[in-house]
Amino acid sequence: MATDLINIGQTGANAARSALSVTAQNIANANNPGYSRRTIELAEVTATGGVGLMGDSRMSGVRVDGIGRSTSTFLQVEARRTGSDLARAEVQLAGLKAAETSIEQAGVYPALVEFEAGLAALAADPLSAQLRAQVLENARTLSSSFSLAVQGIDSTAGQARFAASDDVSQVNVLTAEIARTNAGLARAQDGSVSKAALLDQRDTLLANLAQRTGITTEFDAAGRATVRLGGNAGPLMVSGEVSDTLALTNNADGTISFTLGGNPVSPGAGSLAGQAQLLDRLGGLRSELDLVAAGVIARVNNAQANGVAPDGSTGQPVFSGTGAGDIAVSLASGAGIATAPAGSPANSRNIGNLTALQSSLANGGPTSAMDGLLFALSSEISSRSVTRDALATIAGSAASQLSNETAVDLDNEAANLIRYQQAFQASGRVIQTAADIFDTILGIR
Amino acid sequence: MANITNGTAGFYQRSVNEMAGLRRGAENLQTQISTGERLTAASDDPVAAASLRRLSRMDRLAEVDSANASRARNDLQIADGALQTMANDFARARELAIYAANGTLSADQRALIGAELAGIQNSLITSINTRGIGGNALFAGQGDGPAYTVDAAGNALYTGTATAGTLSLGEGLTVTTGITGPEALNFVGPGGPTDILTFIKGLADTLQNTALDGAAAARSSLSGFDEALESLTRAQTVIGVRVAWIETVQDRQTVSSEARAQETADQGEVDLATTISNLQQMLTVLGASQAGFVRIGQLSLFNSI
Repeated sequence: MATDLINIGQTGANAARSALSVTAQNIANANNPGYSRRTIELAEVTATGGVGLMGDSRMSGVRVDGIGRSTSTFLQVEARRTGSDLARAEVQLAGLKAAETSIEQAGVYPALVEFEAGLAALAADPLSAQLRAQVLENARTLSSSFSLAVQGIDSTAGQARFAASDDVSQVNVLTAEIARTNAGLARAQDGSVSKAALLDQRDTLLANLAQRTGITTEFDAAGRATVRLGGNAGPLMVSGEVSDTLALTNNADGTISFTLGGNPVSPGAGSLAGQAQLLDRLGGLRSELDLVAAGVIARVNNAQANGVAPDGSTGQPVFSGTGAGDIAVSLASGAGIATAPAGSPANSRNIGNLTALQSSLANGGPTSAMDGLLFALSSEISSRSVTRDALATIAGSAASQLSNETAVDLDNEAANLIRYQQAFQASGRVIQTAADIFDTILGIR
Repeated sequence: MANITNGTAGFYQRSVNEMAGLRRGAENLQTQISTGERLTAASDDPVAAASLRRLSRMDRLAEVDSANASRARNDLQIADGALQTMANDFARARELAIYAANGTLSADQRALIGAELAGIQNSLITSINTRGIGGNALFAGQGDGPAYTVDAAGNALYTGTATAGTLSLGEGLTVTTGITGPEALNFVGPGGPTDILTFIKGLADTLQNTALDGAAAARSSLSGFDEALESLTRAQTVIGVRVAWIETVQDRQTVSSEARAQETADQGEVDLATTISNLQQMLTVLGASQAGFVRIGQLSLFNSI
């Protein structure tokens, strides 16, 4: 009887010590973002009744049944999904903002206005060499600001492609790791410390993967993850211990596309989807800029062809090139600007042709096209900022709920520390009591 | 049991995010106050940015329009001065013609008057070939050379274009930047349509040739002088009207530019009173939030164990 009591006290002390280890582990990992709070699962140890032993009150204490892990599959899925959406929105917004900054800093719009202003000033004194030189310089500034804007867009696109290719290799590392973790999970025993650690690792890997691409996950009884790209019917990225390789293709038009195991796929969400959509938009932006530049080239060169320069010759093209990327000033000197209409004599102060050029630039011309481009871009950024903020709030609250469910609360752990310490002391007292009883029995004479 | 806890790492992360958000807001307001501009990028307020863009374009073009208007006005005033000089010279020529009409003068004396008239004609040619600030001949229309050239026989010939150029003053308003020589000098004399230079040269030649009847020629020319003077005065009036028109346009430009400045201020400039009070409010909230964070951060059960 007394030895039973010592055993019970011993199991209690052991359980309390295990619980204290779990508490210590939780406190140590309080700042580890991938760590889910551990709980200890205890089970009573009793002898089940046998023949002739019915109603026996033989109790044997407590044992550690397993190390539990606080988690919520629903909140995990929610946190991954909202994290994916937020990553996509952020990548897109950051890229568009970079493009906006480079177009605004290139100063295409002010350069267009300066060019118009130069032409207006020339109208007051069409034969002035200084004013002509000024117009030509304005044209040069204009062409270089177009080049600057294009360089800005191209460099943003280059960065997006670079980041996408880096993300793709990260995705492949992550899927391979998930497959390896699946292999570990298959061998780990339920309720073991190593199983909990592997599950933590699995969830961290999945969260990282979800930052890069939209995924859907399923778990089997052993906790092994099956990962699909995109929705429920998406292609398999990881199944059991096998992962498929994601590959990136740089298309000729500057956009990117993806293949998974050789089949074309679209990530749907995550930073990869953000990069792909950003590159589509940047391509559009570039062709819009090309259109504006082509408008300038066509209008100015047409006007030149319709007029005569001060030396009486037909005007030669001011700009060469076909778009924003290759626009350049080809006129050698300001003396070649054709201000007078065709048929005018040499050194005519008639500004008919110049006026025609001015009005073709002013009315629905490149200046208003550029204004429209900037307005469309800035309002797109503005509305995307609102979307991003909304997604950030949603993702933040999902992450916060998940952390409430799984993260370590130090106050809780401090309470547990006291609780298990008391339990340990109480078990010690049980052993002492058993020893006293034993001594009492031995002392009977 | 649903064991909902308040994760410690989560608490720190949330507090840091909230304080960072407040700090970002305060810094943004501070930037607005120190730059005086409400928008740092067009995407902050696309509509206001688009208006500001158009306003800055209109401002820049209006600047040129205003410079062009001043320039046109100066040219017209120089042309007005030249016409005034010509009118004075012409009045002297008329006096000389009245002298010459006097029958008591000898042919030699008339020849002297003729010589002086020839000098006046030269002076008139100089005046009509006056050039503006940009070196353009003011009475040559859209031509670049002198308005009148003198051939070997001393006849002045108009070499400019038929019409004067027009200049845009912005907002769809234009002004004709001058008048051509013929518009100022042509009139219908006693012997049919002619111009002042030919008219005076004809009289000077007749008077200088002592064989001809200078007195009769001078007498018959007097009515021509009146017509010619009227033509000159008419030209001066036209120029005066155009100068007045430019002044009206300039007033209008000033008003428009004030309206644009007001619009720019409304759209893009910081209202200091509101912004500073917002900044103060945000700083108060930030300070309270920081103090709260420190107090809550100090609360740990471990301190009591």
